[in-house]
Amino acid sequence: MIVVDIISCVLLAVGLFFSFVGVLGLIRMPDVYGRLQASTCIPTMGNICLIIGGVVHAIGYGMDTATVVKLLVIMLMILCTNPISNHSLLKGAYNGGIKPVREMVMDDYKEDQPTYKEGETK
Amino acid sequence: MKDKKFSAWLSTFIFCFLFWLLLTWSVALREVLVGLAVSAVVAAFSARFLIQKDAFYMYHPVRLITLVFYLVVIFMWEVIKANISMAAIVLSPNLKNYKPGIIRVPAADKPSSAYGMALLSNCITLTPGTITMEVAEDKHGNNHYYIHWIDVTETNRFKAGDIIKGTMEKWIGRIWA
Amino acid sequence: MIGLLIAAIVMVVLAMGLLYRIFKGPTAADRVAALDTLDLVIALALSLYSLYTGRGIYLDIALVVALLGFISTVFVGRYIERRL
Repeated sequence: MIVVDIISCVLLAVGLFFSFVGVLGLIRMPDVYGRLQASTCIPTMGNICLIIGGVVHAIGYGMDTATVVKLLVIMLMILCTNPISNHSLLKGAYNGGIKPVREMVMDDYKEDQPTYKEGETK
Repeated sequence: MKDKKFSAWLSTFIFCFLFWLLLTWSVALREVLVGLAVSAVVAAFSARFLIQKDAFYMYHPVRLITLVFYLVVIFMWEVIKANISMAAIVLSPNLKNYKPGIIRVPAADKPSSAYGMALLSNCITLTPGTITMEVAEDKHGNNHYYIHWIDVTETNRFKAGDIIKGTMEKWIGRIWA
Repeated sequence: MIGLLIAAIVMVVLAMGLLYRIFKGPTAADRVAALDTLDLVIALALSLYSLYTGRGIYLDIALVVALLGFISTVFVGRYIERRL
């Protein structure tokens, strides 16, 4: 029992640290691009470590299998849906004309103006 | 054509029913019957969005095992590395002098199907520090990823692609060709 | 185990920190980015609290929050891009 507690506590601590990094980045970064990049720490390391810590706890204390499976499904859902919203927000902010506070070193998107027509498949 | 439609429906139906079993996690007769009905309706509406060419491409043990290995080992390693460098940027006093930029990265020719490129760009977005903005074709028919990078340390586009994509592209090329 | 409860409480405190960005954020994109992250943090706190109390109903709520949280973000992204 004590081993299970130690393992899950370590995983929870790591997850909490990276969630803290994500939230701190969201507060400290100067513009929306940096904020979006920093907030990606939460759905990756924060999410994975917290849920795996919970799974270790649930298995160690003999909870039923439905709980474990549901936890893993929550983790997978967050991992699948988060990149879509992040991509959509960053592209929307860029095309909506929000200026970055810190100057970009290079901006290939502005030079090339790529257009991908929707509904077009090869 | 009709046969192709049916196999697309069948493949989506199996996927939906497995997901239903995962969510409810019981094999009581009533729940299984409701699950069959719901999966049939959902598959009839969503099969044409999910399946394009080969309906049973992913029901293949080697590809499934490769996908799980890729997600658990390769992708996790990239995520851990990127998270630590992101934490170094955020926790440094006065926000270490990071240099953001949008870089065009040429795609290799191996994951050229829509699924592979979507998975690769989602994985790139999911590693902290890089977000894919667009996947577009140039005049010569080559694919390019437009990636917003929080700390541009390499302005040569090929070397930057090696840094950003790492070994992920090779492994996805093995799964989806 | 008390560690789960502590972790859930710390996640809620982090959500309070996100409220600062939601009220302060200069543009709409900042606010929506903070709201999207708030969804994730609340879903994770709910699942940890469900493990602490042993009630399965919180897990279902966390699943729904995690599933539906991103749709509004995608639509607002489209709206900011002026394509909707």
